[in-house]
Amino acid sequence: MSVLRQKMFMIAVFVLSFSLVIAGCGNNKPASTAESASSNASPSQPSETTANGGEGKAPELEPYKITLVYPGDTPKDLLEVQSALSEYLKSKINATIELKPIDWGSWLEKTNLMFASKESFDIVISAATLGYYSNVAKGAYLPLDELIAEHGQDIQSVLGDEILSGLKVKGQIYGTPTNKEFAGANGFLFNKALVDKYNIDLNQINSLEDLDPILRMIKEKEPGITPLFEGNNRFVGSLVLNGQYDGLGDGFGVLNRNSGELKVIDKTEVPEYMEVAKIAHKWYKDGLVNKDAATVKDWGLMQAGKAFAIQQELKPGKDAEMSTAWGFPVVQKQLDVPYTTTVTVAGIMLAISKTSKDPERAMMFLNMLYSDKTLINMLDFGIENKHYVKKSDTAIDYPEGVDAKTVGYRNEAWMFGNQMNTYLFPNEDPNKWNAFSEFNKQAEKSIALGFAWDSEPVKNEIAAITNVSKQFEDAIISGSVDPEVYIPKYREALKAAGLDKVIAEKQKQLDEWAKNK
Amino acid sequence: MNARSNAAVPLQRASRNRIRENSSAAQLLIHVFFVLACAACLVPLLLVAIVSLSDERSILANGYSFFPEAFSLDAYRYLLGDAQRLINAYGISILVTVVGTLTSLLISSMLAYPLSRKDFPQRNLLAFFVFFTILFNGGLVPWYLVYTNLFHMKDTLLALLVPNLLMNGFYILIMRTFFSTSIPDSLIESAQIDGAGEWRTFFRIVLPLSLPVLATIGLFTTLGYWNDWFNSLVFIYDTRLISLQYLMTKTLLSIQFLQSNTQNSNIGKLLSEMPTETVRMAMAIIGIGPIVLAYPFFQKYLVKGLTVGAVKG
Repeated sequence: MSVLRQKMFMIAVFVLSFSLVIAGCGNNKPASTAESASSNASPSQPSETTANGGEGKAPELEPYKITLVYPGDTPKDLLEVQSALSEYLKSKINATIELKPIDWGSWLEKTNLMFASKESFDIVISAATLGYYSNVAKGAYLPLDELIAEHGQDIQSVLGDEILSGLKVKGQIYGTPTNKEFAGANGFLFNKALVDKYNIDLNQINSLEDLDPILRMIKEKEPGITPLFEGNNRFVGSLVLNGQYDGLGDGFGVLNRNSGELKVIDKTEVPEYMEVAKIAHKWYKDGLVNKDAATVKDWGLMQAGKAFAIQQELKPGKDAEMSTAWGFPVVQKQLDVPYTTTVTVAGIMLAISKTSKDPERAMMFLNMLYSDKTLINMLDFGIENKHYVKKSDTAIDYPEGVDAKTVGYRNEAWMFGNQMNTYLFPNEDPNKWNAFSEFNKQAEKSIALGFAWDSEPVKNEIAAITNVSKQFEDAIISGSVDPEVYIPKYREALKAAGLDKVIAEKQKQLDEWAKNK
Repeated sequence: MNARSNAAVPLQRASRNRIRENSSAAQLLIHVFFVLACAACLVPLLLVAIVSLSDERSILANGYSFFPEAFSLDAYRYLLGDAQRLINAYGISILVTVVGTLTSLLISSMLAYPLSRKDFPQRNLLAFFVFFTILFNGGLVPWYLVYTNLFHMKDTLLALLVPNLLMNGFYILIMRTFFSTSIPDSLIESAQIDGAGEWRTFFRIVLPLSLPVLATIGLFTTLGYWNDWFNSLVFIYDTRLISLQYLMTKTLLSIQFLQSNTQNSNIGKLLSEMPTETVRMAMAIIGIGPIVLAYPFFQKYLVKGLTVGAVKG
């Protein structure tokens, strides 16, 4: 009996403690919202008075909280930077800001649910690879043309019409791209130690034929070093895939860059495709390339310092970037003239959500990201003397005793607004932004720049083609198989999966686009 | 007669010997099979543990190996560098698992028990609601809308607890079957004759007799709560409330993403110092954590609870 009583007692204790926990959880929420409300309110009171005294324009606007949703980790000092930003924005456009970083890993799920549940937020990161076109089709973003004309003059002057109209979908702009490099150029990165050791003159390498003897020499003189590392979308054949044609969105049905006409073709028909695949296959057979090229999913041997060269999509300073990432010096050599396509322009941008309660204010904020140096640097790097110290007008470094690992706030500077207004760290070329502008000027623009492909009418075919391409593409462009045998097979499989229908649909949309351009 | 019986004796003996030989051969086979099966289970785990202790560079150069060139604790050092977050996530996971499992057991058994009583009116109707949820559900978006817009559970601990509490009709089915097959009606009747009310019958007679099924379902729900990362992913924005498994998933995915996409030279530098491959394995080791310790306690009930529960009444 007493045992039973004890058990009853235990159950009662458990039920009680559980109800306490539940009650605790329940209380949690109102308390935290109250807290955040008060933390929002407290900086507002003093700054309202300063805003009234200072800027003439600010008091006309009602106070408003802008919510910025972007991918990234939640840094330790997020709230501190947030309130510093809010204070600054108060004085300019009488707005506060809420920073809402979402981890890269859950970005797509979380933002999709936010759109689906009509959650209210103002500005959100978008990109061709982050579902820009599908979100536009779903109506998740606001069209921006009028807003830009009214409150976004700086955006227009910084980016220029050509880039902005490169993002139009059915005649409307839905996102403002970060001002950065708008083109891709292909080439190779080389292990600098080996380049120096053998006195290799990179200027002499202008084609794959020029590279051939160098790779052979490395193989002969450096046993244990793989002359060319391939894998993870970095293949010899990528030179053609990314450089010789405009993939028009998904890379199925492409424009030949050199043909100069708006004619959608099967990519395997471009003559360079076979040529490059043959070279790649020769290299593969001769053991110049790692054997697992078609399946590797990381930087592998290259990162371990056991390979000499790797194919890369390049931009100015890519070599410095990868040198720090890998921990040993590499140098770059570009083989193509940079090429601007719709996809490179839509690399990363900011969109205004349909659920924004005050799109005009959101646009004012966007505009400031392109024109206001203080704002964008605060958003990117945090608070001066706490998260960074200024070395000159354009250069910064971490404060003493702090490094990239321990700093309380960091953000990805390439995601927001005018990147050319942002500070540079000592390991970056002080001339980086000029080099970027130069690179953009140099770039050849695709004649289909601005064409947005809507794959909805042929989505079953696209799915089938994607499967086929997974089966063949990497093996062919890495040189793992004989292209004379496999390219015809690939072409056949693509046709069987419905490529002709996709090409016809793409051609139709492209013609329509060209007519209305 | 005699001769026959004499002949029969060695024959019998021989056949007995043959049986013994056969059985020892069979025994050996069985042993070998199970040793191999055990090895197949343990060796990958061992590899994970060894890789987590290996030096990053040697893995990049040589791939995974049982005998790495160099050992290093970098991966653990990296994870513990953010110890506060890790401990916090551990705490959240343990709290949610314990509270969630106990509550879930209480709710499930309190629903399953009446369903097992033949004298409960409308029990078929009620059972239908339970079975219906096994076959159909609303889909992700409505599910999300209910918890965020109707119950406002976003960013609270409840969002980690509640969605798993009410979801599993299958467990209720197992419990109901256990109650109706292994608790005799006469026992309940006699309890009632002795003056026990429904609550007393349930808590003091039915539940103590149902430890196997409680342990089994308890183990399932414990695992469910411990391994859950999806609720954190969907509902939690506040980094102080995320569970261990989600912290792991998130770290992995972020590393992966940054590796292939970063254009920021400082993040690049960070990544170069980060033991990315070995960290994955170290996280697996840390993530297994207490759940491995929980197994032995549940194990003795597990088979009984499952087999009894699996006989559908």
